[in-house]
Amino acid sequence: MIPIEKTLIYSVIAVYLFITLAPLLWVLSTSFKPNQEAISFPPKLLPDAPTLDNYLFVLTNPNLVTSLFNSLLVSIGGTGLSVAVSALGAYAFARFEFKGKNLLMSTILGLFMIPVVINIIPLYIMLANVGLLNSLLALVLTFQILIIPLNIFLLKNYFETIPKELEEAALIDGCSKLRALWHIIVPMSMPGFLIAAILSFRFSWNEFVLPIVLSNKPDVMVFQVALYQFISLYRIDWGYLTAGINIALIPVVVLMLISQKRMIRGLTLGAVRG
Amino acid sequence: MSNSNSLGDYPPVTKKESSTNTPHEYIFKDFKLILIIGLVSLILVATSLTPFTMVHAQQPKQVTLTAIVAEPKERWDSLFADALTKLRERHPDMKIDIDYRVLPYADTRKQILTAMAGRTPIDLISIDQIWLGEFAEGKFLSDLSNLTQSWNRSSEWFKTNWDGGIYNGKVYGIWAWTDVRAMWYWKDLLNQSGVSPDSLRTWNGYIEAAKKLENSTKDKGIQAMHLVGASHSPDMWYPYLWMLGGEIVKQKSGHPQKGTYWFPAYNSTEGAQALEFLSDQVKAGIKPQINHFWGKEFADKKFAVMLEGSWLLGHFPRNESKNFDKSVGMIPMFPVPKEGDTSATMMGGWMLGIPETSTNKALSWELLTIMIQPDVLAPMLANYAYLPTQKPIAEGTYSTQLNATIPYYKELISMLSIGHSRPSIAEYPQIADNIRQAIDEVYLGVKEPKQALDDAAKKSAEVLGWS
Amino acid sequence: MILTLEARAGSLQPYLLLVPALSILVGFLLFPLIWNIYISMHNVSLTTILGEWKYVGFKNFSNLLRDPDFHMSLQVSLLFVGGSVALQFFVGMVLAVVLNQQIWGSNAFRALFIIPWTVSAVITGFSFKFIFSDSFGVLNYGLEQMGLNPVAWLSDPGMVVWTLVIANMWHGTPFTVIFLTAGLFSISSVVYEAARIDGATKIKSFFYITLPLLKPFIIINLILITMWSVNFFDLILVMTNGGPLFASTTSSLYMYRQAFEFGLLSKGAAAGFLLIGMNLVLAYSYIRLFRRKERTVEIRQM
Repeated sequence: MIPIEKTLIYSVIAVYLFITLAPLLWVLSTSFKPNQEAISFPPKLLPDAPTLDNYLFVLTNPNLVTSLFNSLLVSIGGTGLSVAVSALGAYAFARFEFKGKNLLMSTILGLFMIPVVINIIPLYIMLANVGLLNSLLALVLTFQILIIPLNIFLLKNYFETIPKELEEAALIDGCSKLRALWHIIVPMSMPGFLIAAILSFRFSWNEFVLPIVLSNKPDVMVFQVALYQFISLYRIDWGYLTAGINIALIPVVVLMLISQKRMIRGLTLGAVRG
Repeated sequence: MSNSNSLGDYPPVTKKESSTNTPHEYIFKDFKLILIIGLVSLILVATSLTPFTMVHAQQPKQVTLTAIVAEPKERWDSLFADALTKLRERHPDMKIDIDYRVLPYADTRKQILTAMAGRTPIDLISIDQIWLGEFAEGKFLSDLSNLTQSWNRSSEWFKTNWDGGIYNGKVYGIWAWTDVRAMWYWKDLLNQSGVSPDSLRTWNGYIEAAKKLENSTKDKGIQAMHLVGASHSPDMWYPYLWMLGGEIVKQKSGHPQKGTYWFPAYNSTEGAQALEFLSDQVKAGIKPQINHFWGKEFADKKFAVMLEGSWLLGHFPRNESKNFDKSVGMIPMFPVPKEGDTSATMMGGWMLGIPETSTNKALSWELLTIMIQPDVLAPMLANYAYLPTQKPIAEGTYSTQLNATIPYYKELISMLSIGHSRPSIAEYPQIADNIRQAIDEVYLGVKEPKQALDDAAKKSAEVLGWS
Repeated sequence: MILTLEARAGSLQPYLLLVPALSILVGFLLFPLIWNIYISMHNVSLTTILGEWKYVGFKNFSNLLRDPDFHMSLQVSLLFVGGSVALQFFVGMVLAVVLNQQIWGSNAFRALFIIPWTVSAVITGFSFKFIFSDSFGVLNYGLEQMGLNPVAWLSDPGMVVWTLVIANMWHGTPFTVIFLTAGLFSISSVVYEAARIDGATKIKSFFYITLPLLKPFIIINLILITMWSVNFFDLILVMTNGGPLFASTTSSLYMYRQAFEFGLLSKGAAAGFLLIGMNLVLAYSYIRLFRRKERTVEIRQM
């Protein structure tokens, strides 16, 4: 590669890296400043007296820790449910021809276009009537609407790229369809499942608008909502808030880093059949 | 390049042992997948339903009162803790708990609306005075008129504050505490620029002082005067309207449906004059601030003079309240058109009310009354620098406690007599939005004050049903 | 009896497989949708929600379409969505291509670039609100230090939409980067080799090989990021609440404020449907646009 190209490439990366990371570095550095002086003017890049107090505060606060645990539970549970449910549905679309197939697919994608916020009141009424308000189960189920249509679409395209002959061979041997799904398709689609899982996790983990109305009882609060207590009308506890933000970043970032390569490969097959 | 032929990376397909199942029995034979889903769901159902079942399994005399209140949290923590202790003492036969949710301002309103729509029983809510009309009109609130009569403490309230909780002649909320907006200034900055605090009292003096201050504070990175440009800018404009004798809305007859109803009155000559003053400030170089940090920007000495609420005191370290008046000065007024005019200010704060859906109205009322008892409420007010709405705290023995801990307490209390409140009508949020747009238009120099107000009033009239 | 993968006519299997997904979607999406349809045809507000709901047919929709504030919000949405999609797409594309070259550390860079997408919208909003603050923001402070004039990021009506577009770009570009990178991975190097042997330059091969082969990814990516930008409002709510002078009130924020700030639930629901309509129209347009282009490219390559 000629040197000019290399310089160009590295400069583009450098510029965008700066744009991406600058706010994050700010958040990171602020989290190490004592909460009282968290924001000062003129702004200081590095804390004069770095401290771990903010992190200690967040991690020893029982409400915050509970909310962290709740978020993990809801996100993991939601991910499991969404991937399983979407896989079954995607399999149906990928391998079967049936009446209303296209209509159903279009409807599912159409439903995805609804802005979530207008559903808050009806969802609340519905959950209130079945007594599921302020429960983690309700959150798990509700968050599905954010991701099932996308996952079905992705996994469907993914399945379609796996040659039918493989399953047909297994079927001839007496395997049932669902077994074929489990033993053949799933192992070969692991990257696709990984992406669906990561997307599900990310959407569940970051969700704020729904939980703040549907489950604001302290013991079922999720982390994003709990973080909001540091932003009150009269002051923002930037120290604690940024510490909390960094902690909230960890699970999703870790997931993404570990599975980055597999995820991209998973998307490759999952999106080809537009 | 990291391309790879994806299929080649997959694990080889292994032949599993053949089973003799027919396709129709697949559901029952492939339990692994279903088992996992089932297990996950079961665990989640169990964890989430447990508290639900626990509530049902209580002894008959367990009562949990639910409340939705607005941030900040700490003031509710102390208030509920104290009140709960006293409530329990009164009812030794009951096991009483309070489950209160503290939410950000907008989310409190959203939560109340949603809960009422879903007819969820809630026992106590904090009501912003501007919500009272809507909530009462929407039948969210219990009529407390009879309860307040037997309670017989309404005469101990300041009239404006008591009336603020009344809608259509009935009592729906009790104004628990309030705050006022006053002028605060850094003494050293004014000294250095040769500006006398007294000059801030009149409109002309305020503008002149702004120019003088700007010259000297500019190099320090400090701005002279603060001007609210955020979404609640109307709140900081109303005092000027009121001090000229203007009003936001007035009753008028001839309404298509209601006969006599509210009509926008803020586009009067007084209104235009009041908005002219804001326009003059902008022309003199004062910048409307889009972001509002509720006094922190003053505490951080980014501004020399700031019109801000009494909560500003919360941004200063507690232990230095004795020295506070040495460095910070306060004038208990908004600037007036000319020397000697009566000023005005806006009163905020929170009301307490009982939703119609409550299943424990009597007990909730009792809790409410305890919360606003002087011995329970006064310590909280002292701690968070809020002002009382009832005479026993404002004037009695408790006032000494507040006087000792809150700087400029007497001056702040004196402002209650010139304090006005906003109308508690159902359409207020939209009217405020119209006014805000007018203020923005004037700030940006897009329209003249009278024109902007007239255009806004036209919209407000439509909102109020006058079209 | 030969078992094939195709279901026999009338088989219930596909439907059964779809039951879990559909039951969740029906319960949690369809029911709210129907509720919203119902209230958009009635007069429901904060003050009437527990009382009588008067039937008004399509009046809410016609009122909405006549509301100058709504027209304004459509214009703002156009700018916001257009700007966001354009920036996210082009920047994402550039980054995806750049990172796909043979350079050291591409995986690490990609990982770092993902991070903004993992921060929730509300938190992003608050952070940027502070960074872009006129008087106390880091950005203006930096500009002043460099001798440049501070910019009224959030208080200038002409500027504010673009500030939001920048914030949205920061937040949303990673998705495009990943998505298009996946697309790039699916193009085998053999194709590029062949083109190089034929004498094609890198630029030429990008436009005539890469882009056409990326088409399916591009379509889906555009549909998704457009829809997400149209529906996005938490960021804007936190950063500007629609001001100054409604210059940053997108249609989604308009809908939110009508429903929850003013308590006009019917108007909010009607606005919500218009938003869904917008999304569908845009998605459909993308598909039609690219189908047509596909044919043109194929003809060219023959």
